[in-house]
Amino acid sequence: MSQLPKRIIKESQRLISDPVPGITAVPHEDNLRYFQVTIQGPKESPYQDGLFKLELYLPDDYPMVAPKVRFLTKIYHPNIDRLGRICLDVLKKNWSPALQIRTILLSIQALLSAPNPDDPLSNEVAEHWKRDEQDAIATAKEYTKLYATEQ
Amino acid sequence: MSTIPRNFKLLEELEKGEKGLGSESCSYGLQDLDDLTMTYWNGTVLGPPNSVHSNRIYFLTIECNESYPENPPIVKFQSKINLPCVDQTTGLVDPKKFKTLGEWKRSYSIEIVLLELRKEMALPGNKKLAQPKEGSTYF
Repeated sequence: MSQLPKRIIKESQRLISDPVPGITAVPHEDNLRYFQVTIQGPKESPYQDGLFKLELYLPDDYPMVAPKVRFLTKIYHPNIDRLGRICLDVLKKNWSPALQIRTILLSIQALLSAPNPDDPLSNEVAEHWKRDEQDAIATAKEYTKLYATEQ
Repeated sequence: MSTIPRNFKLLEELEKGEKGLGSESCSYGLQDLDDLTMTYWNGTVLGPPNSVHSNRIYFLTIECNESYPENPPIVKFQSKINLPCVDQTTGLVDPKKFKTLGEWKRSYSIEIVLLELRKEMALPGNKKLAQPKEGSTYF
């Protein structure tokens, strides 16, 4: 395996020494570009009390291209599809090399607090959100309880 | 080059398949879009021209288990086909008789498997083999 760029080493170290509240990111031992991530559901969101698992990968061209991130825990959210793929501007057209793993994870945490049904990835969920927000939030809470809570 | 993890490789393959960015001679996608493990796939291969397979569409299933892409997927024809590398009772593609699976490389993909099977159909020794009735299946 090729040597890990200094930037990735630094970012990884800082994620461990100075972690973001509510977020963990640990590289896999056999692939230091591949992180196991957890995000706590933000307070006062339908995801509160949930612990969401994600995976993150830094492609060869990182930081010229954005990290790849996916939810591994099922979640009911208009900007996250059934396979856990995330629709978030900073992961696509608004990525900049000045951003980092931690800023991306913070943006995802913020996305949980502020679902955006006008820019959906998951159409059915977005329509549900627009049609009856309270009911959609109730479903999101149910999913959180079912899939994101350790029994 | 770094090593792309299984899930992100499969997500890339899925995106290519969903957007139809690959070859027009084959298609592939997840059997169940709720399957977070992305294990079970459907595929089709369009029979190559100038062969008995011309104008036929073959349906296949592809299983990418936990060890993919370190190990090859398990590939099975659903449509009946007479090819030396395909088990005639189950439709399973035999890695011992099909190099793409037998000499698998991590950089290969579902699309490569389907396109190589298509080449197999067009081989001089295979392209005139008598074929089962169109539309018959192994299940």
